[in-house]
Amino acid sequence: MLSTDAPALQKLASTRLAGFPGFLRANGFAVGGGDAVEVLRTAERVGVLDPHILRWSLQALLCGRAEEWRRFDQLFDAWFLPANKWQRPERRDADKGFLSGHQPQGPASDRAPTMDSEDIRPRQAASRQEILSSADFRELTEREHALDIEALMRQFARQLKHIRLRREARARHGRRLDLPATIRRSVASGGTPFHLEWKDRKRVRPRLVLLIDVSRSMLLYSFFYLRLARALSAELSDVFSFIFHTRVTGVSQALRDPDPWRAQERLHLMAQGWAGGTRIGESLAQFNREHAARIVNSRTAVIILSDGYDTGEPAALSGALSQLRRRARRVVWLNPLSNQPGYAPISQGMQAALPHLDLLAAGGDLESIKAVLPKLIEALG
Amino acid sequence: MTSGRAQELASWQQDLARAGYIAEPGLVATLMLMQDLERPLLLEGDAGVGKTEVAKVLATLRHTRLIRLQCYEGLDAHAAMYEWNYQRQLLAIKLLEHDERGIAQKEQDIFSDRYLLKRPLLEAITCEQPPVLLIDEVDRADEAFEAYLLELLSDFQLSIPELGTVRATSRPLVVITSNGTRELSDALRRRCLYQYIDYPDYDKELAIVRAKAPAVPAVLAQQIVAFVQSVRRMELQKKPGIAETLDWAAALLRLDISVIDKDGAERIMQTLAALIKTRDDRVAFTREVVARLAAAC
Repeated sequence: MLSTDAPALQKLASTRLAGFPGFLRANGFAVGGGDAVEVLRTAERVGVLDPHILRWSLQALLCGRAEEWRRFDQLFDAWFLPANKWQRPERRDADKGFLSGHQPQGPASDRAPTMDSEDIRPRQAASRQEILSSADFRELTEREHALDIEALMRQFARQLKHIRLRREARARHGRRLDLPATIRRSVASGGTPFHLEWKDRKRVRPRLVLLIDVSRSMLLYSFFYLRLARALSAELSDVFSFIFHTRVTGVSQALRDPDPWRAQERLHLMAQGWAGGTRIGESLAQFNREHAARIVNSRTAVIILSDGYDTGEPAALSGALSQLRRRARRVVWLNPLSNQPGYAPISQGMQAALPHLDLLAAGGDLESIKAVLPKLIEALG
Repeated sequence: MTSGRAQELASWQQDLARAGYIAEPGLVATLMLMQDLERPLLLEGDAGVGKTEVAKVLATLRHTRLIRLQCYEGLDAHAAMYEWNYQRQLLAIKLLEHDERGIAQKEQDIFSDRYLLKRPLLEAITCEQPPVLLIDEVDRADEAFEAYLLELLSDFQLSIPELGTVRATSRPLVVITSNGTRELSDALRRRCLYQYIDYPDYDKELAIVRAKAPAVPAVLAQQIVAFVQSVRRMELQKKPGIAETLDWAAALLRLDISVIDKDGAERIMQTLAALIKTRDDRVAFTREVVARLAAAC
């Protein structure tokens, strides 16, 4: 029982509550259809008359990550406060108008409460105009080459899995005896160890961090790199992607978005300053400050995708790279220009960076990435 | 009922405070819900904001054991759930050599409870009184382990090939913490209640200092908190957490510093080791910077 007396009011409250998870899902939360039941159960427990407790409880129930946690309050207000206080939702479906306020059923109602399969998200909800204005991002999901890129990244991911780091696991043939396992096997033969078990270094794929330069000089290549990053993120779970121009922005979440349209929109929002000037050194320093401590560890390979044309101080780049190099396992720089005939890494930026790199290689298109892959794997190993 | 809930919340908050944990009402509401729904709680936030403390204080409040599983890279299911005591088993095999019983029986004996070493996860579900199970820094372990964990958290049972299935005799209260070094799976996130813990604001941190370091004079406590709060606003590699604040307060007391002002910057510099933990950050704290921060307190 909900803790209100009037049955009508109670019914209204529960339909409003039941619609809330769908509203969150439309706003990009990873909420499943089954959560409506949980919401009602929770509301029963905590009551609906104290808005604070209900808010806190639902926040704990329905959020799953820090980003959702920060946006929750606003969305809660939008859904539950009286219409004139509503704020504009982040996405809308113009035809269905499910946020108009006259349909307390909410967006979840027209969908069966199936499990949270990704493909039932409202795709048509992205507003067309925004897509047109950020037309370039359409390249992100363009069909052309999509299969090639995916195939190449799959190959890359597979090869990465063969890289061995210093960690041991049981193996048929190995370098050291695995005593517990040997004894375990010896039980069958009355305690006499006929069969020996071994330990060998386990294959552990390094974690990847991609830093993609999206400044003006990279305009030709940055979308290609973003597509690579998106394909790679689909293959491996711990790929972290960042774009930088004069500052650095994390795009992993956006790239992972299963809805390609929404991925475009999210990138669009993040891309202020896109195709502007480059300050690689400052961007890397910012990355070191804000993200490196969390993400970069001794089994992380950092791959920088940039042409090295830097308008900042070379000293800043050199300092930031050396700091990054100390934290990471490998730092690799792929330069789209370096397969052009007559290219030499003489730009100030490249000169400053060169001493800190494990590998500087070409990589402007699919062919050159393919060509560089063996070297890359070797460098990461 | 609702006002009852609010009262309950207030009394929880008081209990927590008495046990030495200052919590916002939002967190308290989540803890209550966690108990109601019997769901695990996933805590995220920067290092040093008091995530681990939540589990400890829960255990204190419920007068129950805290079982802690510290995750690390390379943690496998065996180290977390159970292991056989191979040495004793080997000994037993030798002793049983002249035993008359059949092989099957001998084997049953060797793979019995007596030779089982319980690791935290198995221990947590076989306690008589439901304990608090703290799975610390789950993001350090790899995804395979996360999958094991999910299985445990959904069924509360473990299967041991030699023994069969072990069902939970009690459902532990599960607190999972993560520093966000790796993206956790959506499945794990969806199974848990979620709480993001931020650095405490001025009032909360002052309350914490008062509760945890009662020896610090009131005025100094205010200054300490104001100083740390402004240090956190600086761009540092490693922001000081609550533990650092308390350490620093202790360091100041030890050096008989009773007031933070710009004339005392030199002496404050001597205590900064308790607050600033990386070399690059330390370089940023010149005498002038400290004097400026101190003057503002």
